[in-house]
Amino acid sequence: MRKPDEAIVLLLAGGVGSRLNLLVEKRAKPAVTFGGIYRIIDFSLSNVMNSGLTRVGVLTQYKPLSLMSHIGTGEAWDFTGRSRGVKILPPRTGSKDSDWYKGTADAVRRNIDFLEANKAEEVVILSGDHIYHMDFDAMLAFHNSKKADVTVGMMVVPKEQIHQFGAGITNKDGRIVDWEEKPEVPKTNLASMGIYVFNRDYLLASLARSKDEIDFGMHILPWAIDNDNVFAYPFYGYWRDVGTIQAYWEANMDLLNQKGMISPEKWQIRTNVEAEERRADRPATRYLAAAKVRNSLISAGCVIKGTVLNSVLSPGVVVEEGAVVKDSILFRDCRVEKNAQLDLVISDKLTRFGENAAVGVGEHHDIISRLYPKHLYTGITLVGDSAEIPANMKIGRNCIVKCNASEADFTTPFLQDGESLS
Amino acid sequence: MLRPTTLAMILAGGRAEELNVLTYYRPKAAVPFGGFARVIDFALSNLMNSGIEQIAILSQYRSYSLINHIGTGAAWDMIGRYRGVSILPPFIDSEQQDWYRGSADAVYKNLDFIQYHRPEEILILSGDHIYQMDYRDVIAYHHRKNADLTVVCKRVEKQRASRFGMAHIDDEDGDRGGKMVTYQEKSENPEGEWSSLTVLCFKPEILYKALEENQSDDSFEFGHDIIPKLMDQGCRAYGYKFDGYWGYTRTVEEYWNANMDLLGDQPLVDLERWGIRTNLDHRGLRDYQPALIGRNAEVLDSLIYNGCVVEGTVRNSILFPGVHIGAGSVIENSVIFFSNRIGKDCRFDKMISDVNTVYADNVEIGIEHVDKEKQIAVVGWNNRVPAGTRLGHGVTVSPQLQPDKWVEVLEAGRVLR
Repeated sequence: MRKPDEAIVLLLAGGVGSRLNLLVEKRAKPAVTFGGIYRIIDFSLSNVMNSGLTRVGVLTQYKPLSLMSHIGTGEAWDFTGRSRGVKILPPRTGSKDSDWYKGTADAVRRNIDFLEANKAEEVVILSGDHIYHMDFDAMLAFHNSKKADVTVGMMVVPKEQIHQFGAGITNKDGRIVDWEEKPEVPKTNLASMGIYVFNRDYLLASLARSKDEIDFGMHILPWAIDNDNVFAYPFYGYWRDVGTIQAYWEANMDLLNQKGMISPEKWQIRTNVEAEERRADRPATRYLAAAKVRNSLISAGCVIKGTVLNSVLSPGVVVEEGAVVKDSILFRDCRVEKNAQLDLVISDKLTRFGENAAVGVGEHHDIISRLYPKHLYTGITLVGDSAEIPANMKIGRNCIVKCNASEADFTTPFLQDGESLS
Repeated sequence: MLRPTTLAMILAGGRAEELNVLTYYRPKAAVPFGGFARVIDFALSNLMNSGIEQIAILSQYRSYSLINHIGTGAAWDMIGRYRGVSILPPFIDSEQQDWYRGSADAVYKNLDFIQYHRPEEILILSGDHIYQMDYRDVIAYHHRKNADLTVVCKRVEKQRASRFGMAHIDDEDGDRGGKMVTYQEKSENPEGEWSSLTVLCFKPEILYKALEENQSDDSFEFGHDIIPKLMDQGCRAYGYKFDGYWGYTRTVEEYWNANMDLLGDQPLVDLERWGIRTNLDHRGLRDYQPALIGRNAEVLDSLIYNGCVVEGTVRNSILFPGVHIGAGSVIENSVIFFSNRIGKDCRFDKMISDVNTVYADNVEIGIEHVDKEKQIAVVGWNNRVPAGTRLGHGVTVSPQLQPDKWVEVLEAGRVLR
């Protein structure tokens, strides 16, 4: 039974996530497919559900259509019912402000009416970009036991990664006494996960202070730390920001890890299987006589006649005779035709790899992408939504094939390492 | 066209004695099939794909599993202002106190429901066959012939005919259908070569009258009573000739054979092509993660759904959601229902394992050498099979055996209760 003042959740799902390159060309980062049948935002939504929280606002901005159809009524996460609900909160024009969200705090500020309409003691602010399993109910209990104004979910990360995060220094009580946003030279290895619990009145007061305070990590938190009670809630489990192609690939491979680093089923991660033309509503996968599948995650609705090694397949993928898919991630309804070879490939949905095509050929993993050197530098080749790779085509390492590429777009039989077809 | 003109009634009351332990706790129509679905999903999906939107299901035997499975009907798009699926259980009232005494009696007892819907034609289906059919074509033929009754039939060989209702159909419309000249139910030597598939299309008034008259008889079945009665009365009866796949699930052997028809490169039963849908909320199907196929696993000629974890070898078999196969185990020619856990180094050949059964390590089922064809072993649900147990081919194990009832070795064909 819900308490009348149960915490309300704001899920920030508006980010572009541009380092995911082609994967976010037609959808926001939280809507990117993960682990075969899930989308990244499923992890946050399911954590909310499993924490017993039932009122959620999802702040969208960038290419929200996939996200909106995925969330639907919220029924997949049990957010439908008399007092339950998930609301999409798109940017809107006000009497004066007609521009887009300028930052995380700005986005929340522009939805103050949502907070005012839903009475709650606390507001839980999350990002829809992360792969993790966390109990917000325990975090709320911690927040209340510390009588905190704000509690920040934090975890230890390797020193060399701290520059991507907000970093906090705590006293022995767990109170945050110092804060650096994305420090070049870190003083700590305790990183913010972008998960905040605010007392609602404190949040409203903080947001009212100045419209120039547009970001939680840059403005709101430093002020709160200097003036009030901000605590760090320590988190020790698996948590990944899959904001880069490399991190995204690694997290998918963690699904295959024997130690069970990510266990969507055990974590009770839910998804909407019916959105987008029965995305994951398929019959059982068919394995044929010459199939060879090892160490892979295979969604229902695939047909496998060839070889699949260390890979993650979304529903409806067809791997024909003689084809080999290795260390790859294929989104729904990709077709790998006879004797095609895929090595270290991330392919968006509905692509076709023609007969004898070879994608990810050669050993030059170190020839990085010429157009996007910060996106592709470990050998992963990206293929965009609905691209058609011609038969016999060869594509090297760190390559990009644009969305909807047709056979005619390929003017040479070999796309060299690091090159892009765009 | 808002108000549906066709009312479909699915006969799903029966248990099917011969399915034995598989139907101790569920009606035949709710038996799992195809690695994720239930037998009745074929009739329901055919209805959905035929655009028929008003459906009633006549259910009597252990109906809970079926009620649970149908849910709101949303899985087959049967929810909406003019769309719906109703389960009609037996009931008592001031006039009668009986269970459904047969399929025709079940429909008769719900005549008020039927008449409320004012259908232009009534489609009677059985909920326990594996097939794909567009009923619109049957209904179109029914209307074109201005028939009182249209019976969908499939040609069968003479030697198998005695277990079916057999019709003699003339060639009025060639391969499409013709006038039904004679009809004999389960006759040793029938005149016709067309077996009724229990897909019947009735003109409503004709059906109402026949059901009314049937009440004074002592048998109440469509095949045995209603069709012969209408033939005797000289009604306009037509046979619609069907030549697609037709899978029976009346016996363990038929059921296993129909399962094997799901396998191979060009399967006779193609769930994706046929557009088979199931209720993903039933048993939490939607909540399983994709299947994990392990480092040393081998999966050939098989059907595997989400939620499986395979560390061993699976050949020519069907795994339902949540089945785990331990390292070193070899599963062949078998159908393993939901949430079975199979330990290490087990060997199964030609068996069916009902839901939630747990096999400890080194269990062997049906692996002895046999000169003739092996019989199918069946293990009932919720069993805990001790390590090292050896069961011969063709055995039957009751559901939920007490731990002290297990034996180390069970000879071929025996029954363990």
